[in-house]
Amino acid sequence: MSAGLNQLKHIVVLMMENRSFDHMLGSLTAVDPRIDGVNAQFSNPDTTGASIKSQPSADFQGQLDPDPDHHFPAVDLQIFGGDPARVATMQGFIKSYFNQRRDVAHSQKIMYYFTQANLPVLTTLALEFAVFNRWFASIPGPTICNRAFAHYGTSFGRVDMNPFDVIEPFKSIYTRLINNAPQHTAKVYYYDTTSSTMEVVNLLQNQPQLFGTYQQFQQDCASGNLPDYSFVEPNYNDHETDSGEEIASDQHPDHDVQAGEQLIAEVYMRIKSNPQLWASTALLVLYDEHGGIFDHVPPPACTPDQFHAPANSTGTGMEFDFDRLGVRVPAILISPWIPKNTVENRVFDHASIPATVAKFFSCDDFATSPREKAADVFIEPNGAAVDPTRNLLSLDVMRTDCPEFSM
Amino acid sequence: MAIIPVPKPSPRAMNPDRPVNALLLAQVEHLQHAERRLPLKYRSEIYTHAIRTEGEAARYIREVTEAIHQAHDDAEADRAKRAQSRKLNPNPMTKRKDARNATEKKSRKYK
Repeated sequence: MSAGLNQLKHIVVLMMENRSFDHMLGSLTAVDPRIDGVNAQFSNPDTTGASIKSQPSADFQGQLDPDPDHHFPAVDLQIFGGDPARVATMQGFIKSYFNQRRDVAHSQKIMYYFTQANLPVLTTLALEFAVFNRWFASIPGPTICNRAFAHYGTSFGRVDMNPFDVIEPFKSIYTRLINNAPQHTAKVYYYDTTSSTMEVVNLLQNQPQLFGTYQQFQQDCASGNLPDYSFVEPNYNDHETDSGEEIASDQHPDHDVQAGEQLIAEVYMRIKSNPQLWASTALLVLYDEHGGIFDHVPPPACTPDQFHAPANSTGTGMEFDFDRLGVRVPAILISPWIPKNTVENRVFDHASIPATVAKFFSCDDFATSPREKAADVFIEPNGAAVDPTRNLLSLDVMRTDCPEFSM
Repeated sequence: MAIIPVPKPSPRAMNPDRPVNALLLAQVEHLQHAERRLPLKYRSEIYTHAIRTEGEAARYIREVTEAIHQAHDDAEADRAKRAQSRKLNPNPMTKRKDARNATEKKSRKYK
């Protein structure tokens, strides 16, 4: 066991909304060629047949309106480009966005990415800690079913945004932790009651005691009372409160990307400000899906789930066996035990979250979906013989050079 | 140790009158699904089909989220009250049974 794993007591996941890897972190290839971001050759055809290259012209707000389509049929077009041979070429992003406004110039904006200078928080964290080159959404589809994979390791056959039922014997990672012997602690921190959660129908409705607010997260960090596992949700809407205006921080188009940068920095600094917590916590910052925005890496095939989406629910006229991952998203693992500038190339998806948490906290007696069983872990299981080539928290001595953010 | 300044979003970024997006509409739908299972007294009076803006969606999201918490808190308080009452008055069923037996005996006596 490494010193970092020995110290580790808390895992925190902050899941943002709807941005692809190339869009947010693609610029970093210029700084570190090991990071698989954009290069000058990447392009998509527009509807006139012109080849449109990726360019560093992304703006914080106002550019991706309407919200790019990221439902199952649209993502299918983005990945396969409408090719009847169904080769995943990632050539259908502009075609897909054109369908919404039928404006050629506007549809090309789906290829834009941020410069490093525009995203000082996310890019700094990516360069300072471990950035994942191959973290994919769990399904080539929208938010709710992708977030289900983070909570349950499956979406129970859903590829859409509709309410879903948890199907026994599978349980949420929170229930598994709480019902485990020895018992663990877990919490979902939504921003506030006006933002609430994206897992209403099963978790909020039946287990509201699992939830806390972001303010409680701040207090729990300061007092050292953070649970073993925390899942943090951003603010999903602009709203007024008694104390003033709360701007959406989820980065979902067309919400302001800088507000999300502030949230990421704030979560990081809350943990870092408590030295004991900082030494014993791993923070994973990632995005639920790509939001219809260009990425150049074709999602790989994966172990099928035991659930199945019939043709009438996929909207493509074809069935889906959950045997292909969704589009690549930004994901960064943060801990003072991770060597600076780590680049990880193994394949992960959101099923890796419950897989990692369950294995690290030894919750072994619960049923897991085939997708969760097959998912790789980003933190090596507690107490096991650790393979040094897989352990990201590999330093013998904790770093003291980690960056700080001022807001 | 590097200290990195984090820029603030533009003051114009905040817009509760922005048309509600598909994600928030799905969240409203999920909350409506949960709201239908709440006792009547906890339900919102907001007509969700008329929600057009983010601010309107936010109002409904808050009302139903708080109602779900309140309904569970009230049920928990009620449960605790019943448990307390059982503690103060142990085995009320036995008492009732004894009283019933006494009445039956009395009625037999007067037959």
